[in-house]
Amino acid sequence: MESLDPRVGRLGIPENWGTLEPKSNLDQLETFEVFSIMKENKPFTHVGIVHAPDEEMALVFAKEQYGRRDSTLAMCIANSSNVLVSPFTDNNQNLYDFLEPSKALEDSVSEYQVFHLYKRGKQHQHVGEAEGKGYEDALNRAKEQYDGSKPVLNIWLIKSEHLLSTDEEDAQIWATTPEKKFREATDYRAADKIKRFKQEKA
Amino acid sequence: MKNEAIKELLYKMADDQLVLGHRNSEWNGLGPILEEDIAFSSMAQDKIGQSLEFYSILNEMGEKDPDTIAFTRKADKFKCCQYVEHPIGEYDFSLVRHFFFDYADYHRFELLKNSKVERIAMAAKKFQSESKYHIMHANAWMKQLGNSDVSIERMQNCLNEGIALALGIFEPSPMENVLIEEGVFEGEKKLSERWLSSIQSILSKTELSMPDISTAPINGGRQGKHTPHLQPLLDEMSEVFSIDPEAEW
Amino acid sequence: MYGGGNSFEDVYDKELKHEDPEQLAEFEARIERGEKIESTDWMPELYRTQLIRMIEQHAHSEIIGSLPEGTWITRAPGFKRKLALMAKVQDEVGHAQLLYAAAETLGKSREDMITDLINGKSKYSNIFNYPAFTWADSCFISWLVDAGAIVNQIANSKGSYAPYCRALERICAEEAFHLKYGHHCVIHLATGSPVQRQMMQEAVNRWWKPMVHFFGPPDKDSVHTRILMKWKVKMASNDECRNQFFDMYVPKIWELGLEIPDPNLKKDPETGIWNYSDPDWSEFKRVINGDGPCNKERLAVRRIAEERGLWVRQALKSPKATYTTPLA
Ligand SMILES: [Fe+2]
Ligand SMILES: [Fe+2]
Repeated sequence: MESLDPRVGRLGIPENWGTLEPKSNLDQLETFEVFSIMKENKPFTHVGIVHAPDEEMALVFAKEQYGRRDSTLAMCIANSSNVLVSPFTDNNQNLYDFLEPSKALEDSVSEYQVFHLYKRGKQHQHVGEAEGKGYEDALNRAKEQYDGSKPVLNIWLIKSEHLLSTDEEDAQIWATTPEKKFREATDYRAADKIKRFKQEKA
Repeated sequence: MKNEAIKELLYKMADDQLVLGHRNSEWNGLGPILEEDIAFSSMAQDKIGQSLEFYSILNEMGEKDPDTIAFTRKADKFKCCQYVEHPIGEYDFSLVRHFFFDYADYHRFELLKNSKVERIAMAAKKFQSESKYHIMHANAWMKQLGNSDVSIERMQNCLNEGIALALGIFEPSPMENVLIEEGVFEGEKKLSERWLSSIQSILSKTELSMPDISTAPINGGRQGKHTPHLQPLLDEMSEVFSIDPEAEW
Repeated sequence: MYGGGNSFEDVYDKELKHEDPEQLAEFEARIERGEKIESTDWMPELYRTQLIRMIEQHAHSEIIGSLPEGTWITRAPGFKRKLALMAKVQDEVGHAQLLYAAAETLGKSREDMITDLINGKSKYSNIFNYPAFTWADSCFISWLVDAGAIVNQIANSKGSYAPYCRALERICAEEAFHLKYGHHCVIHLATGSPVQRQMMQEAVNRWWKPMVHFFGPPDKDSVHTRILMKWKVKMASNDECRNQFFDMYVPKIWELGLEIPDPNLKKDPETGIWNYSDPDWSEFKRVINGDGPCNKERLAVRRIAEERGLWVRQALKSPKATYTTPLA
């Protein structure tokens, strides 16, 4: 197939292609939730997802999809299937007010990372850890520690062992990101040129 | 003499980064997975940015401005190794080249961090942080594709076929002794030793075997001898620029 | 990048008959209060299907939209342009990733969406079916097609579906770079040498009609979208978006001494509404139904990219892996 794009020309696309066999879902990779810290003293905040074959690759992908601009200090990821999601409340209703004391207790204690959502449409934020004998127990422990003045609309709990985070040393991979001015609108000022052009024309 | 040797070093590094960055940008929008498309593009941008920095240093040393150097020279004036000129091929070829080449980069910057030429040492330090991500990326991919029955054979072939070209990265330049004596750069031999041990260590974590490193390297690039792929690449790259090299685009 | 005038099906109240009236009332009240809908909330089936359709079309427009500009990615003149165009095309791929993820929260996997795209079952913005003949065409796209997309995206970012809004927030922030970069390129060509200026003028001539098409047919000819407006799925009408685009960008084009190939293009000072010539809506229909200059190539390229990448994804796929819907 001829193309104006020399890259496409090199792909060697046959001129007449039949219809594609319906693609099976086999190649749909797993989903990982991505959180990042953008500023000193700010918590991990949810930024989106990547599809990846494993945690290591998920972090490699997340670094560029969610950290190629601005400064990023740290990033962590968790397989979406390892995130325990609470029900949602309406704005201004606090989820912690609806919690029931946990009945089913597991034998052993696990550590969970707790993420809050304060407003529909905003992002989940990390608030800290809670230990508990299972999900419900951990939610109740989280209530004791993190139920504050703001209503919490939704909570994510992730076992600490299910989160993979960049370490201090990894952070240097973001060292030059703020210098990449060519990705910023501010690098493309040309008002002078327009002014000069208008003056010359006048 | 010393200045000429430094320029030669800068030219070969800049040309490598420009040509490979250009090649890798051909995957932009056509990659195998959206997330990978983005990651690979970032690394190509890093390379173009690095070449720009090296050409800028050359400019400070009296050479022409970066755009003119990059967009108007003919192939025989380029000092890149031949590996970077080859078309992108299938993704296995591009990934193996990225693995081989970016490990060389990583160690090159590591050595250049101690260069007595301050300007080069600073650039190397900066680029090593980018390079660190590049090898993180390469490691993750080699581990995945080097351990899956679907891809082991393809990857092994690319390693075997790529090794002679990869060894050409370390083709010694005529004035290398000056660089070593003056403490500018510790030389290709030292670099290739470090590179080799990294490559071995990563491959040992996979089902892939080390390609035959006694293969004769494909040299010539550092002296301006290139494959027939380079001139068309440069023609394409400068197609718009050459409409009017004096104009601001 | 994203065109308005995305094709909605005819949507009528009667399709809601089977929905639980209490839940429906609660859902509508939440939107009325200005609260967002999250993916696990109850929602009418019609809301879900129309949103998937819209977000999916948007995502396709990003990934296909990277191709016309990609035409010039290996030929960008000079370092500054080379880096910027690489970064911009990369962003568009990134936008596709974000938008597919937003649509996935509604229950359709990315692979299913891409398969539908390749099989021609799904639409994307019409304008990307036109060829980028010269470097100036890519500059027109970066500036003005992105400008049009921004008008749409800003409107949509105030919609009701939270995951879509979150994606759009990220996207709009990046679009600021696209817009400035594109404008910068056009300014340099329009105020440059005679050859450059002519190149730019020719690009404007070629792209103006598709640009007017971009926002979709006039409201009077559009399908019934009352419910979608009420549910804050469709946020602004085609005519509103088009008029806003004219308002913001026509003066900026004119100030560069470029001519717009429409003698009737003029703002009515009293109504604030721009008049424009009929841009041949039959051509729009023809192209959106598959018969444009590049429809075939665009899909073929997407398809070969998928096919060439198939072994990579197969190698990455572990038999134990199970797909999970993104959470937010
Ligand atoms: Fe854009
Ligand atoms: Fe976009």
